[in-house]
Amino acid sequence: MFLLEHDAKRLLSAHGIPSPAGILLEDASALKSAVLPAAPWIVKGQIAAGSRGKAGLIRKAATLSEVQTLAAAIIGSTARGHPVGAVRIEKAVSGAKEAYLSLLLDSATAQVRVMVSAHGGMDIEQVAREDLYTDSAPADAEQLTACIRRLAAALPDSLRAAVGAAGERVVHAFLALEALLLEINPLFVLADGSWVAGDAKLVTDDNALARQPIVRALLERRAAAYPETALKLQHGFDYVVVDPSGEIGLLTTGAGLSMMLIDELREAGLKPYNFLDIRTGGLRGETARLVQVLNWIAEGRNIRVVLVNIFAGITDLAEFSRLLVAALAEAPALKVPVVARLVGNGLPAARATLSAAGIALHTDLDAALAEVRKHLSRR
Amino acid sequence: MSINPRVDRSTPVIVQGITGRTGRLHAALMKRYGTRIVGGVSPSGTTKDIDDVPVFAACRQAVLATGATASVLFVGAMQLLGAMEEALDAGIRYLVTPTEGMPVHDALKVREAVRAAGAIWIGASSPGMAVAGETKLGFLPDDSLKPGQLGLMSKSGTLSYESGYRLAQKGVGTSVWVGVGGDPVKGTRFADLVPFYADDEKTKGVLIIGEIGGSDEEEFAAALTARRFNKPVFALIAGRSAPEGVTMGHAGALVHGAHGTFAAKRAALEAAGVTVFGSLNEMVTGVSARLR
Repeated sequence: MFLLEHDAKRLLSAHGIPSPAGILLEDASALKSAVLPAAPWIVKGQIAAGSRGKAGLIRKAATLSEVQTLAAAIIGSTARGHPVGAVRIEKAVSGAKEAYLSLLLDSATAQVRVMVSAHGGMDIEQVAREDLYTDSAPADAEQLTACIRRLAAALPDSLRAAVGAAGERVVHAFLALEALLLEINPLFVLADGSWVAGDAKLVTDDNALARQPIVRALLERRAAAYPETALKLQHGFDYVVVDPSGEIGLLTTGAGLSMMLIDELREAGLKPYNFLDIRTGGLRGETARLVQVLNWIAEGRNIRVVLVNIFAGITDLAEFSRLLVAALAEAPALKVPVVARLVGNGLPAARATLSAAGIALHTDLDAALAEVRKHLSRR
Repeated sequence: MSINPRVDRSTPVIVQGITGRTGRLHAALMKRYGTRIVGGVSPSGTTKDIDDVPVFAACRQAVLATGATASVLFVGAMQLLGAMEEALDAGIRYLVTPTEGMPVHDALKVREAVRAAGAIWIGASSPGMAVAGETKLGFLPDDSLKPGQLGLMSKSGTLSYESGYRLAQKGVGTSVWVGVGGDPVKGTRFADLVPFYADDEKTKGVLIIGEIGGSDEEEFAAALTARRFNKPVFALIAGRSAPEGVTMGHAGALVHGAHGTFAAKRAALEAAGVTVFGSLNEMVTGVSARLR
């Protein structure tokens, strides 16, 4: 999960990584009652993506009315494809040097890549190669801290101690939060040698949520800001609306096969609505998960047909078909025809069950797509 | 790194978590396929045997009693690290882990332990591996497993089942099939298997089934070039129309900026001489024309 800056900073402060004082504002009209840090401020739009400065989401404000104007303009806008749900209003830091510090999981080597630079405050891809010091080390506190200290030794005197000290805490936070990425950019280093995190990019591992109670509590409290992760945590499977104006609802299992089906439908000029990996093995003889998905699909304003595509290596299709027919009866909001393409165990019984419910069963995907097209052409 | 994944019908295999719903079902399915399941492990220690397979309370006892060298682990994501460490300590040198959702930091730790022990780990989130006609470790459905000459590697389970099934219908079977899994940090990567497939005499061509996110396909392309791999290589990559910044089911399937995109993967693979297909139908037609 890619955490919003404000949430990342709150998590990091518990690990001894301070930030400039700041508050989260989700509604510009609530500014009057908000308790702000001292002026001047930076108003920062919160989205789970980088390059926010270039997108106009990081703005200075000297007066309250400027804050008001900026907050009203930024909240509710869309930047880099993400709706902006909130701003962080933060005390501006002046007269500080800006360094760069990051830890990134390198899946190919199964180590952690460490990067430091005296040239923070911009996108790290813009920093000249010779100004960036990098190495990798195993995901171990001692080895990572030693790695940062080694890299920081190449920095100017005014930054070395601060980057080393911040680095040690960043290492502990990275390991404790089970992060995949933790980037502090800029790391503000003040004249007295003290430091604060100007910005923080934190990506945590969704698979570790069960043993990360603080991250989990944050996710539950702010579910609207993290819809996909919250959905998976609550329901135990993956569902993503890939095109809100899509016409074909997909009831599919398997991430790879579901993605491929979406690719092929789009290639053929058709408009799939959603991605779904329902995990038939997780249905456990109950309709609840199917009903949930059918109701979500029914929310699509242009849905014309539902395509069921299940390749059952292990799943018993007879049972799946019974559950599907029962779930359709329990989801009356879905009023469109259903096309089923099933391959695997228990096919004859599945065919009988579906046919009694008026659903033709295809084993060939192309034949199923031909039926989908037939339904779409009935304007 | 070079990994030889070949096992055969004589390889003695234990199933950790055999008394669970999934473990019991798949132990029976593997046995029916021909896999030499010699024992199971269940820490509760209350079950003596299940479907005629002796059950032990710990890996060490199971290995001592049966001589097992391989293990398939049907263990919960949060228990997987401990169970794998137990297997390694007991002398198991071939681990297949179908479990989905292993925390990434656990995968980092266990990968170190696996390498230090000189063992082979396929997973996590592996649909399984198989030497068609001999043995299978994991979920791979029998209908997709026809013996033949195609080396198959896949991040995805379902897309590989469908691919194997359609290829089998066209007369194309597989030599050694390795479901590497969709996790970012994994025991065996596409690139790790390039030297094996290059030398394996029963393999006449290789198909990788990849997906957006990560850099496995790009590393694989580089490994092919470094090895001067001279058998035909094919690729099917899922997710070219996925939105940026959203995880598509698999933890590794996340496009971030220009990283992990379909275009980047296709360019790297094509530069290494790989035929990249845009759909299942094209793939089945293209591969069967070359390898039947």
